[in-house]
Amino acid sequence: MKCAFCEHRCDLGKGKSFCGMYQEKNGTVVEIFPNRWSTYSASRVESVPFYHAYPGSRSMIIGSAGCNFRCRYCSNGFIACQDPANVQDVMYEFEPEDLVRMAQKLGCHNIVFNVNEPAVSLPSLEAVKHYAGKAMIPMGCLTNGYTTPESTERLAKVFSFIHVGLKGFTDRFYREYVGIRSVEPVLKNIEALSRSCHVEVAFPVIEDVNDHELFDVAAFIAGIREDIPWHVFRLLPEHDMKESVYPNIERINQALASCRDKLHYIYFHNFVGSDWVNTLCPECKQVVVKRFSLGCSGDRLDEFMAPENRCSSCDTPIAMHGTKVSWNARQIRSTGGAKT
Amino acid sequence: MSLALIDAREWQNRFDLETGRKSSKQGPLVDMLGKVLSRHPYPGDVNEGANLWVTRTALDLVDHYAPDLVCLSYVQQFFANRHFSHAADTRDIMYRSAMVQAMTFIEATGYTPVIVGTGPLVPLKNDIDLSGLDGLAISSNWSARYCGLHRPSQNDLAIIQSIEGVERIVSKADWIDTFYHVEPDLEVEADPSLMPDYLIVAKEGYAFKTLGTTLRKPVNVPANNFEVPVYTTLDTGSGALNDIRQIKNLVLKGLDTRKIALILLEALDMSYFPPGTVMCANAADWFCHEPGDSFYLTLSTGRHQPFVYPAGYRYFDQDAEQIKFPFSGYMTAIPQNTLGCATPKRSIAVGNRSMFMHMVFGVDISIECFARNLFNQGLMGVIHRGDKFAERN
Repeated sequence: MKCAFCEHRCDLGKGKSFCGMYQEKNGTVVEIFPNRWSTYSASRVESVPFYHAYPGSRSMIIGSAGCNFRCRYCSNGFIACQDPANVQDVMYEFEPEDLVRMAQKLGCHNIVFNVNEPAVSLPSLEAVKHYAGKAMIPMGCLTNGYTTPESTERLAKVFSFIHVGLKGFTDRFYREYVGIRSVEPVLKNIEALSRSCHVEVAFPVIEDVNDHELFDVAAFIAGIREDIPWHVFRLLPEHDMKESVYPNIERINQALASCRDKLHYIYFHNFVGSDWVNTLCPECKQVVVKRFSLGCSGDRLDEFMAPENRCSSCDTPIAMHGTKVSWNARQIRSTGGAKT
Repeated sequence: MSLALIDAREWQNRFDLETGRKSSKQGPLVDMLGKVLSRHPYPGDVNEGANLWVTRTALDLVDHYAPDLVCLSYVQQFFANRHFSHAADTRDIMYRSAMVQAMTFIEATGYTPVIVGTGPLVPLKNDIDLSGLDGLAISSNWSARYCGLHRPSQNDLAIIQSIEGVERIVSKADWIDTFYHVEPDLEVEADPSLMPDYLIVAKEGYAFKTLGTTLRKPVNVPANNFEVPVYTTLDTGSGALNDIRQIKNLVLKGLDTRKIALILLEALDMSYFPPGTVMCANAADWFCHEPGDSFYLTLSTGRHQPFVYPAGYRYFDQDAEQIKFPFSGYMTAIPQNTLGCATPKRSIAVGNRSMFMHMVFGVDISIECFARNLFNQGLMGVIHRGDKFAERN
């Protein structure tokens, strides 16, 4: 029996899935570790980083274990690249309704799955969605986009805002640095998800490896929609690439110059003190959202100057999923599952 | 207006420390600090070179600023052993190397040493998972012994009472009273409404697993170090040195006649210290300071400081709309009465405790790694006082 959660399409007759999270039982694919979570914490939505979804809101960050990728630079390799069976002692057990109750207890406006790949825990997340939906709590995630078409549809039903990591733009890069055959499923899924959800795209740039792909990636995203936010991440050398050099910020920024007229919202960060985390009005170029960059998982909103998601200078609409949320606000205006 | 100079390797940026807004501040001191930062890229918290980085960076800064007071912290051996398992001889080499680095600095500069160990680590026996309570349990990445409990049910308290690894449950009032008995004029600086209703205290070797604790399971945790080793060649006068709260005044007095290096060696016990080392109290009754803000602040201010950022604080309910000190971790104000503030002499700090040193020592200039959860983001230099540099240059 084949697992249909991701494009590995693992043969479960030979054992558990590549991610270590699924097995075959009585003719169906089931989770080996349902409702087991590696973390729960309250954090800023910008820290995920979502820059165009519920700005200023308080997110409950969750994750599980395992992944269908083996990125050589994975920042969470100690939990994502391990066999999930070996890290169960660090996991928390929350039934779906208890996880949603915890989000309420923490005063969180949304729930974001961001430690590892959500497709490896999709049935558990669907159960969380059931209770989150009842509580009017929207859900978002980071995904590597390597899901099958049926799994992509399921993801889009659970999550109304999705950050897709596009790691490179060639099959060769994905083979050498990620361990999968082709980038094609990822590209197709960015297109598919952007039809039904709010989508932001991240691209971890590795100098002299994939920095020459920046223009092509920008053109690809622009071909879907010019207002999809694009986050260019400076590689943080981790995991098997710990000894690699940190990409030169000035050189990468220069390489991005040619991309800036293709997309409305290009950000360059994942390092502390970045100058390229503010949102500019695509029309008049006024700063409409100011942010601080504290490096990985540390970004935060500084000032939101786009009332009703419009530029206060020229009234141009600013692409935003949901409206600005006060950190201590009790409720938010949810836009449900509609795209931006 | 304090300045933060961020160095993300081959790229620097300047900010106002308090507001986080970009700063255009320039001048010889900013130039000097920028050059020192760029000469010493941080190798990472658990890298073998992390402590050598402290020594070399401090020596460079001493050369260019000529401080009277130097505060250093060497933490690589703490990070490496907290999260990873090492053979006994490897651990031993790490701890000895940390002391060697401290002594190298002393020999190279001639400063009078005050060396403080934060006490040993012990293997994790088990964790205490309090995620499933009716109330909310909060601990932190770097704490093992303490966990705050908000709005617990009677059932929660009964459950906690029955857990083997729990040493005691202390109400907020009793917790505060413990310190009032020792320091009657103690101020509780934290917002009382965000403090936990109860403090749960773990037995030695146990660690809490709750909201706020790390994804990385600890391998070792701080022992209950009610006393820690302190070595100095300063004259301690007629009274014996027996409490870490005495160190601030000892250093200030010593600065009248000599240059002093206050050096923290995390995770080191007495066995790694030179002859003449004494054990000093690091506690009030049942509460001992873990390596972290309360330890550093107690040392730097000469008073117990468990309530500036108390364990189990509901930090995420603080008003996040107005940003203050975004580069200073969870600290939202510059602590008062720290060592650096108390002396008119030149002072610096260098260490691999991230986003921390510049606040707890209050020195003129500090350099620290900017690492979060062991992820190496680069360096931060902070200038609190630029006027002293201008006076002499």
